[in-house]
This record gives sequence, C-alpha cells and structure tokens, in this order.
Amino acid sequence: MSSDQRQAWFARMMESGLENDIFAPSDVLAHATPDVLASHLPPELLSKVLTASLAAGSMTPERVLETVTPELLAKHLPHEVLWQCIVAAAARAGVNKSVGS
Amino acid sequence: MNLKAFFVAALSSALDQGIAVPDDVVRHVTPDVLAVHLPRPLWARLLTACVGAARVDAQLVVETIGVPNLCEHVPAQIIWDCIQEIARRSLDGVVMTVPSASSRPTTVPTASTMLTSSMSSTMSSGSRPVPLSTPPPPPAAEPKPAEPKPPVAVGPSIPAPGADEPEGRRTQPGQRFRPNNTGVGRLGSNISSPRRPQAQATTSPTEPERGERGAVAPGGAGDRGGVPRSRRGQTEADYDLETFVGNKDDWKTSLAVDDEQLVDWSASDETVTNGEEIGRKR
Repeated sequence: MSSDQRQAWFARMMESGLENDIFAPSDVLAHATPDVLASHLPPELLSKVLTASLAAGSMTPERVLETVTPELLAKHLPHEVLWQCIVAAAARAGVNKSVGS
Repeated sequence: MNLKAFFVAALSSALDQGIAVPDDVVRHVTPDVLAVHLPRPLWARLLTACVGAARVDAQLVVETIGVPNLCEHVPAQIIWDCIQEIARRSLDGVVMTVPSASSRPTTVPTASTMLTSSMSSTMSSGSRPVPLSTPPPPPAAEPKPAEPKPPVAVGPSIPAPGADEPEGRRTQPGQRFRPNNTGVGRLGSNISSPRRPQAQATTSPTEPERGERGAVAPGGAGDRGGVPRSRRGQTEADYDLETFVGNKDDWKTSLAVDDEQLVDWSASDETVTNGEEIGRKR
C-alpha cells in the first residue's frame, strides 16, 4: 500500500462524506483547524484561500473547502486528522461505538 | 445523511486502491452475518457463483455480492467496523499482502449472466483490489460503433404490397358488388373466350326510365321485392342478367316479353334467339 493509494482513499472518503452529508464543511474545519491548515497547507494554497475569502468578503468553511478540495486535504493534511473527522461523523450517525478510536 | 452511500464509496475505494482486500471484508461480514442479513436472491446468486467457480474465496464472495449490496443489507455497524479496521491499519502503516492476480484462477461464473439486470447493475460497482505490482492497464480502446446489422426476421415473411408473387398464390380481391353503371361488355372485354350472345330484354312501355339500366325491370336486380333470389354462384355476367321480377302479380303487366326473347339456358350451350328452336326444344 503506497502513500498515494491511501491518499486517494482518504480523498474519496472525504468527498463522499461531504456529498452524502455525513459531515459538513464546518465539521471538517473543526478537525482541520486553522493551526492545522497553517501548518500543513503549502503557501500557494494558503494564498488562494485568503484571496478567495477577500474576494467574497468572508471566510466560511464552505469557501475554504471550495479552494482546499478533498484531494488537497488528503494530499496535505495528516490522514489521522481526516480520519478523526470521519470517526466523529460516524459517531454522530450512531455507527461508531468507540469514538476516537 | 446517506450513510450507506458513504460506506459504499469508502469500501469500494479502499478495495480499488488496494488499501483493503476482500479478506478484510469477509473477516467482518462473515458467513453467519450474510446468512442473517443477505436476501435470498443474493444468496442464490452467491451460491450459483460458488458452484460454478474453480475456487471459492473472499474475492469471489465480495465480487459476487457487490459492495453496494453488502452496504445495503449488512448492518452499518459491521461495515463501519470493517472500514475502521482498514483505516487503522492504513494509518499505522501496515503493509498489506495483496494476493497476486495469478494466484487465483480467473473464473467467471457463468451463472452470473443469468442474473437479473438490476442485480447485474450492482455487480459492476463491485471492486477488485489492484495489486501494487500490477502495471497500469493500457488505455482502453475506444468503443467502436456497432455495425448496423439487418434485422433478423422473427416471424413469417409478409411480402410488401405490390411484391411479385407467383401466379396462383395471390388472389386479387374482387369487387363484391358491381356498381350500377358498369356494363357487362366491359367485363367481357377482359375475357379471352367469346361470350355467349344473350337476349336483350325489352323495356316495358309503361316502365319509367331507369337510366342506363334499361334492361332491368321493376322488381329486378335493384328491386327484388323481398323474394329470395337464387344465386347460382357463377360469373358476374350471369349475375347481371337476372331478370327476376320480385312481385309475382305485376311482373306480367310491367314487363312485356315475347316468347322469342326467352332463352333456355339449361338446354343448349348456344344462345338461341330463334323462336322456332325454342319451340322445338320445348
């Protein structure tokens, strides 16, 4: 199992979770905090996020994820963070008996 | 929230990416779980595939049932436990031992072709893990448009109207009733054999004009007066010659016919208009 495959899998899970309302963009940013984003996103991506927010006049989780797509999340953020986001969503859905595992 | 769709995407992607193998799925979705939760039609599909396969393993089970069906029928907690284990192992950096493609004979269960289309549609979403050593597949050739083939006849051949047919097989639908303004001579023009001469019935002086059908007496072909007319079932020309009068009482007065004009049809092949011959034969 290569890193690329795991990255692709997490990207697909994040994409599907957002598509199927398993979690919302705000749930993602609850785990992918500004500190996490600032620590792991490359400078050009941080610049895009800020530019888009300045153009819109606000920085919302939805707008952040429009720029930082699931593929970019899986590419730059630690997968453990993304997994915790998924685990928390599963717990809310009632299918995860062991939150934080 | 569509949790099952998320499970399908997560599990299918894990299998596609080689993050997980079918054994990971069957370790959670055990035969006991399938026995309880899998519908009978899917069980029938699974049994059919297993019977026709050279080797029964987890890959066959997962591919036959399909990830969407698994996520649909197996409790979400079990699917989640499976995904959770895969993720834990992935995050811990455990390297999977993916069986090579050659270790398992490729057996395509022929019985799968007998499945319903709805089931078959879900089969396509079933994923097969791609071994790491496997080179990327060559780009798929563009599907060529199918050449148009002539339709296969599934029923008896019905010739188009106007198509040539051998004589005798085809019968022209004849006109069942001849219009009033068509003469006998017109019909006779198409007959090769000469037509027998016929006696001309004279019109009674008291009869009002009947137009072109002067030979028809009152109570004749157009006015039968309720008396049944015996039809001989012969030619149309014979049908036209009937001078049967419908009313028994007035035919003598309305139709003045001499004996010379009577024709004895049954006695001779020749039409006789001579009064002497008529009298002699009678």
